Amino acid sequence: MTEVKNNTGRRSFLKAALLAGGGMVLHFSWPAGSKAAAKKALETPEEWFELNSYIKIGENGIVSLFNPNPEFGQNVKTSLPMILAEELDIDWEQVVVEQADFYPERFGRQFTGGSQSVRGAWSPLRTAGATARQMLVLAAAAEWNVPASEISTESGTLLHQASGKKAGYGEFASAAAKIPVPKEVKLKAVNDFKIVGSSRSNVEVKNILTGKPLFGLDYKTEGMLIAMVVHPPAFGLCFKSMDDSVAKTMPGIKSIFTIDSLTEDIDQNFFDATSFTKFAVVVGNTTWEVLQAKKALKVEWEEEPERTFTMGGRKATFPAGLESTELHRAKMQELTKTPGNIARRDGDPERAFQAAAKILERTYTAPFLAHNAMEPVNCFAHVTADRAELYGPTQAPEFISGTLSERLGMPKEKILIRLARMGGGFGRRAYGHHLIEAAVISQYLQAPIKLVYTREDEMTAGIYRPTYSATYRAALDENNQLLAFHVKAGGIPESPLHANRFPAGAIDNYLAEGWQIPSNITVGAFRAPRSNFMAAAEQSFLDELAAEMGKDPIDFRLELLERAKTNPVGQRNDYDAARYAGVLELVRDKSNWKETPQGVHRGVSAYFCHNSYVAEIVDLVMKDDMPKVEKVVAAIDCGIVVNKDAAINMAEGAIVDGVGNALYGELPFKDGVPQKNNFTTYQLIRMNEAPKTIDVHFVQNEEAPTGMGEPPFAPVFAAVANALYRATGKRFYNQPFINELKSS
Amino acid sequence: MATTKLKINGKEHAVDVDPSTPLLWVLRDHLNLVGTKYGCGVASCGACVVHLEGEAVRSCVTKVSRAAGKEVVTIEGLSENGDHPLQQAWEQVDVPQCGYCQSGQIMSAAVLLREIPNPTDEEIDLAMTGNICRCGTYLRIRKAIHLAAEIQNEIK
Amino acid sequence: MKSKTGQKEIRHSYKLTAALSVLAILMTLMVTISARSESAAFGSKDKEVFADQRKRDSVKSVEAFSKVYSVLISPRCVNCHPAGDVPLQGDDSHLHAMLPQRGKEGKGMLTMKCANCHQSENTRGPHTPPGNPNWHLPPADMKMVFEGKSASELAKQLMDPAQNGHKDMKALIAHADDALVLWGWEPGDGRTLPPLSHKEFKEAWITWLKNGAYAPEK
Repeated sequence: MTEVKNNTGRRSFLKAALLAGGGMVLHFSWPAGSKAAAKKALETPEEWFELNSYIKIGENGIVSLFNPNPEFGQNVKTSLPMILAEELDIDWEQVVVEQADFYPERFGRQFTGGSQSVRGAWSPLRTAGATARQMLVLAAAAEWNVPASEISTESGTLLHQASGKKAGYGEFASAAAKIPVPKEVKLKAVNDFKIVGSSRSNVEVKNILTGKPLFGLDYKTEGMLIAMVVHPPAFGLCFKSMDDSVAKTMPGIKSIFTIDSLTEDIDQNFFDATSFTKFAVVVGNTTWEVLQAKKALKVEWEEEPERTFTMGGRKATFPAGLESTELHRAKMQELTKTPGNIARRDGDPERAFQAAAKILERTYTAPFLAHNAMEPVNCFAHVTADRAELYGPTQAPEFISGTLSERLGMPKEKILIRLARMGGGFGRRAYGHHLIEAAVISQYLQAPIKLVYTREDEMTAGIYRPTYSATYRAALDENNQLLAFHVKAGGIPESPLHANRFPAGAIDNYLAEGWQIPSNITVGAFRAPRSNFMAAAEQSFLDELAAEMGKDPIDFRLELLERAKTNPVGQRNDYDAARYAGVLELVRDKSNWKETPQGVHRGVSAYFCHNSYVAEIVDLVMKDDMPKVEKVVAAIDCGIVVNKDAAINMAEGAIVDGVGNALYGELPFKDGVPQKNNFTTYQLIRMNEAPKTIDVHFVQNEEAPTGMGEPPFAPVFAAVANALYRATGKRFYNQPFINELKSS
Repeated sequence: MATTKLKINGKEHAVDVDPSTPLLWVLRDHLNLVGTKYGCGVASCGACVVHLEGEAVRSCVTKVSRAAGKEVVTIEGLSENGDHPLQQAWEQVDVPQCGYCQSGQIMSAAVLLREIPNPTDEEIDLAMTGNICRCGTYLRIRKAIHLAAEIQNEIK
Repeated sequence: MKSKTGQKEIRHSYKLTAALSVLAILMTLMVTISARSESAAFGSKDKEVFADQRKRDSVKSVEAFSKVYSVLISPRCVNCHPAGDVPLQGDDSHLHAMLPQRGKEGKGMLTMKCANCHQSENTRGPHTPPGNPNWHLPPADMKMVFEGKSASELAKQLMDPAQNGHKDMKALIAHADDALVLWGWEPGDGRTLPPLSHKEFKEAWITWLKNGAYAPEK
């Protein structure tokens, strides 16, 4: 057991109760561990005893655990309580899980993104669980008049071996709640884990499969109105005027007006993302009625001048103009040829390139991408003179809460943000503009409203994965040995460069440069931001370089990693070369790398991001001249896996997502207008294109858990590109690959 | 506005709406049956699939007038206790990630299983390619449909 | 069988815009060759229409068919007469997303029966499902493929009862006013119309048929 300092406080009030003026709303899920065959709701206890922020125990022994983080399908609502349950030493069958509201004073960081949920919560939740357990032990020790050290726990039971005394946690919950919080608690040894490392069914699965209202879009209160916004049809345009003469007379329409969601005087958070700030708003009784009036509303737009906002205390300027993909491509091509900002330089790369017998140079590009979470943007808001309540899908309530407070002119403690289950996120919902819009609309109307975006509204409202370009160069001597490596990467409007990632640290002469081109097209984090492109470019280049050097692509990577492990170049290398090599070796073994089946074309790729290591091998076949990924083998090192089957599910999903985006994903622009606005034109991967088999293997170790949502996504693109090369004899440099395939 | 009589999950309802209102919004806004989801509004993603006279229609483009007097079944009414073979299989395989598309997936799969009780992978692809899962749970959906077929066979 | 009138009209087409000149050359070729081509029509059964054999004019017929053909291979027609079992979509006639299958009756199958999305009328708005009460593809045993067919192949197919849904001349003429055919001229938001108006198409269709339904050589 590990001894840790205890930072878990105990607070005896709930914010929701204060704000709502009533009892806390409990969002009970089904008992966590019950079998499908024997579904029986647990008896609700007559009284709960709160041991700390996360844990309440009923007098009947039922344990309620709070999931602090927003749930968007990564399964934190199951995985995080599993960590609590492990250290509390209870049976999973006795657990109910509740979704916490946004309450940072109580739950700390409540953020879903950057694959940090489990990593960030690991230590606090273990401590919270162990603390509550210790308080129960102390309460029993006092009652039984025995030393606490002689009391053991198992499955929610306290036991004193010598006297044979035994009691359920419920019997001591009341007494334990009065015990002073212990200064130090002991954590379990990893090999004593019973719940962590097992597979536990999604606690919400039953509700999902029976259509219960779980999502923001499902939410409804008495008297609630539906609000929709009309945003400019192009980036670079803004609201000029509107004619609502027809729309306002339509059935069910209550009000049509404009809002400024953000003003230039507000110091925004970096994640506020200001695609558009002035909207026409249509409010009415039902979604369909509002949708009809919205179509009838005539809005005139005008070109928007350059705008400057303060973001995180710094000025951010967005240029004027209507941008197009053609223009973006030309500008990016120009910048690949001019010197960038040097981010890392080892040895003397310039001289090495001059001395080279051969230089391999390749440029890779990727388009803007839309997130396309299945549940469109929405948010409920009810703002009155002295309080505000919001309920909706958000990955990052903490990012928006400050701006929300400033914009509403209301202190943070008067604003309750409740966290709905999200119908996907992929980074899109780290940006909380919809919370501001909903709150401003509700404040204006002094009525409860639900803001609803149509699919078209969402796909054309911005916050995209940026468009990127990266040029890689390798210098080889006359013996085909690698002398130097150069990457120059940029994008619109940000550079994707990670200067200190592999193969930095493995090559004596190394140069990394970045550049960026400003744009008024709003961008944001997209599953494995920057990594999703850098992995695609770098791992495709290494594959081609290995071929150029006459080496097996896995052997070549392992050679570089061996160098980085035994004699690293530079001090700032981000990755652990041994763990990186570990996933490559594991995937090589599990896939029988050297024995490619007949008619199958294989591509390998490996990447480190979000603190985890993933290597993948794609088996691709060509059917009617079209590529089909049949099988993927993945090897993952993310430390201790909390919920094994859920982690496998997420890896499968990330791989499917990667195959889809590599082959089809793109959002082109013309005169500032996104050229796709629904799934009819924006191709998403479907069942028939999904691999038949995905084998996921985890490296077994005792490292603290790291990211799982994003790391398996990043390597897929290059694995597909490298397999396509083996299938067609042609290298693929520009995403989406289907376009390159069709044009060849 | 006009009164439309509907029979949903075996229960009679009368709704006073414009007859051209899509069934989706009548279910969600007027009848509080929110298990049927809005994803695209143009019959492209399958999140809104319900059964109309047993067929897997897309409620986002189906006017409520078309459903008048006909049998409509939504995810809420697929089984009385949430134990349709597909719901059991989905739970055992632990299919969902975000879960948003899954009611539409299940409603589509129910028609597949009715018409082909033991579908092959290829038949599953044929039937399920109309339903998008942005989380990428397709492999688990395939697996759960095979399992549901087994459960269905055991019941018979 | 070469007619003066026909040649005059062909010459007239030479005078049209430069863009049409290639087409005109092709048509001239077709006319020349069609002089030797046999009528694709089936005679005995259609006595009423062909009572006056003097009306048969291969040049006029073939020329009319070139107009008919331009409509039949336009996206509004060809998209539901695919070579495979999946309908086509859009002005670029790509495979219908989500790959709905023809099915035995041509009305789709399993979860994707045509009427599950395609209503009795067009759904409003861009990229929404077009509709008609009888929305369907040709059935599996009578696929009536337009996609990829040359003018000659298509003309012969249209006149072959074994391939045209057992239609006789009368039924063929009536088919120009079929509700689903007429949909092609009211296809809903964002879809381009066939290259001819329905009136022009119907005239050309009947002219082709009544003049012997000759198939172009190519």
